[in-house]
Amino acid sequence: MAYSELIKSFAGIRSYMRQFFAYGFRSRDEFDAKSARSYDNEKRRIESWLGEYMSFRQESSGKSVFLSVDSRRIPNNPLYKAWKAASFTKNDVSLHFILLDILADGNARTMSEILDSIDADYLSAFKAAEPFDESTLRKKLKEYAELGLITAEKQGKQYVYSLPSDRASLETWREAVSFFSEDDPMGVIGSYVLDKYEDASAPFFTFKHRYLLFALDSGIMLDLFTAIHSRERVELELVGGKNRKTRRSVTLPLKIYISVQGGRQYLAAYNYWKRGVGFYRLDSILKVKPLETVPDYEKYQEYLQDEQPHIWGVALGQKNIEHIEMILTIDPKDSHIVHRLEREKRCGTIAQIDDTAWRFTADVYDALELMPWLRTFIGRIASLTCSNKRVEEQFWSDLSALDALYGGDDDAV
Amino acid sequence: MLFSEVYSAYFNAIAAIVREVQRGELTEKSILQIIGDKAFSESMLSILPAIKKEEWLVMNSELKTPIAHTPQMPLTILQKRWLSALLTDPRIALFDVDASGFAGTEPLFTHDDFVFFERYADGDPYTDEHYIAHFKIILTAMREQRRVHIKYRNRNNKMLHGQFIPYRLEYSAKDDKFRLETAGGRYGAYINLARIDECKLLAPYEPQALIPPRRRECRVAFSLLDERNALDRVMLHFSDCRKETRKLDERRYEVQLWYEAQDETEILIRILSFGQMIRVTAPDNFIGLIKQRLAMQRAVKQ
Repeated sequence: MAYSELIKSFAGIRSYMRQFFAYGFRSRDEFDAKSARSYDNEKRRIESWLGEYMSFRQESSGKSVFLSVDSRRIPNNPLYKAWKAASFTKNDVSLHFILLDILADGNARTMSEILDSIDADYLSAFKAAEPFDESTLRKKLKEYAELGLITAEKQGKQYVYSLPSDRASLETWREAVSFFSEDDPMGVIGSYVLDKYEDASAPFFTFKHRYLLFALDSGIMLDLFTAIHSRERVELELVGGKNRKTRRSVTLPLKIYISVQGGRQYLAAYNYWKRGVGFYRLDSILKVKPLETVPDYEKYQEYLQDEQPHIWGVALGQKNIEHIEMILTIDPKDSHIVHRLEREKRCGTIAQIDDTAWRFTADVYDALELMPWLRTFIGRIASLTCSNKRVEEQFWSDLSALDALYGGDDDAV
Repeated sequence: MLFSEVYSAYFNAIAAIVREVQRGELTEKSILQIIGDKAFSESMLSILPAIKKEEWLVMNSELKTPIAHTPQMPLTILQKRWLSALLTDPRIALFDVDASGFAGTEPLFTHDDFVFFERYADGDPYTDEHYIAHFKIILTAMREQRRVHIKYRNRNNKMLHGQFIPYRLEYSAKDDKFRLETAGGRYGAYINLARIDECKLLAPYEPQALIPPRRRECRVAFSLLDERNALDRVMLHFSDCRKETRKLDERRYEVQLWYEAQDETEILIRILSFGQMIRVTAPDNFIGLIKQRLAMQRAVKQ
């Protein structure tokens, strides 16, 4: 099949874009592509969409291609472009513009009136235009009614079609859409809305700590919201682990957890096999298959709510509560460190012991999950204790290893 | 359906081309310009031949169109549901939106469907009427290209005031805060919106007065040891920054990361959070900062 920069499905390109964007060190031979040609085609597509953000580097293992962007310096997420690369047939594009034009006068029409209008007013403008058959038009009308682009109303034995009468005004929304299209987890829809404005919006907003990569999981997130709001069980098709094998899991989606510091998004769901709440990375979910509605959905939401006070991030460990305690030495002039503790303590608590000592405590299912955050206080940690001794030992042995990396005491500044 | 041709760059480009035909202003040059703006770098290789061969019954080879009305697509249900969902976000109060068209539209999600679990607890007060008023004045100033007079408290709680040209409103998902970046000085000055006490709209400024602030970019290089899934964690954690990664062997990688000078302490603690999996190799002053923290730590433990 001839190469096209447009694609039928998003699933294939999702993994390539993640590889180029997040990692960016793999050469052609290191991709687990079906064939060299499929790698070349996907790379060419991404270059066509995002060429200005792509870089290349020659390595001994081959040329590596990567996307490198400082998300703070660009007003719009470039990865949304991939969502705007859906392929179409000539009937799709022709009927899109013709149908909306026929109905633009506000009058409702039957399917045969629409067909007559197409023949009389549109096909005659072209040298060799084939008429549309009834079933093609019927399918398109049904599809557009489902999308909400037209309304279908039964009058007697037949349907009449018109444009929706409740056309909401977008004039006052421009700046809000401009902001939320970048910050909202489903911002790609906002980007679709922004495309409706004829002139480009002035870039009033910039974003710090923005994970552009989240855009690639928008389709999965939409399926999960549909399940959450329909209270449906789903079968997830997941990929992960070192062998990248796929597996399936039947779960009840409850909430979306977003890491604003780690660049990851998770689904919190009730896992029927484990009989408890579990977390699934959105970038590991390949497909969401809806199953049946769950009548006592609230019961499962309460499970999550009950667990929440002991979840630091997204880990549940062995579901045994672990007590962790850290004493920090903070000079009174360094009050910003106390502010840090206050705003970053999550489910933990803090207390002042004396003029220069502050205690942080938390009771969590998996104290190991606090480790990266605890390390951000290196330089002030007077003591760290945990009911899980393995956590305590690992913290101090890691700290010694870090110290040794930089020369330890021998290389003190 | 999220991935659909009705939202595609091609459909947007074709709609813009038809509008240009209707205005009687279409030339081959303007077609290329529109395709470049609305679609992708190789799109002209598909769109131009399709028009010339009359493959799409939208425009003929003489660049004439039977489309009588300005192409406009109504909002899809998905778009309406997304806009309706924004109405559940407290930050929507910062914008004067007309929500009347969305009565009865089920939101795609609600604010409660998310947990932003690493978000700081001292986010901006989005329901405070003064905060909302200040935000709207700044937005108006940006829209109308006017200066503002701002009285605010700096990080040491000292009251300052001055006239500023608003450049950008910067939002941080981690801090859940807006900051105003101002133009006029050599480097941009930032003012936290929540620290503004008074904000007044002043007269318009001349366009040449708006000099985009320069950014002081720094670079740090580190080696990364891929143990305990560190490669995946580091690559995703720093994916908000410009970075370049090289593979050295099966377990070791070399990463270069660019950041703004004012964010040095933040980058330092982000790097420290990965412990011994990251070893900073350059520049020396950054290595010095890490050694300083480690020396402080040794002193605290003694």
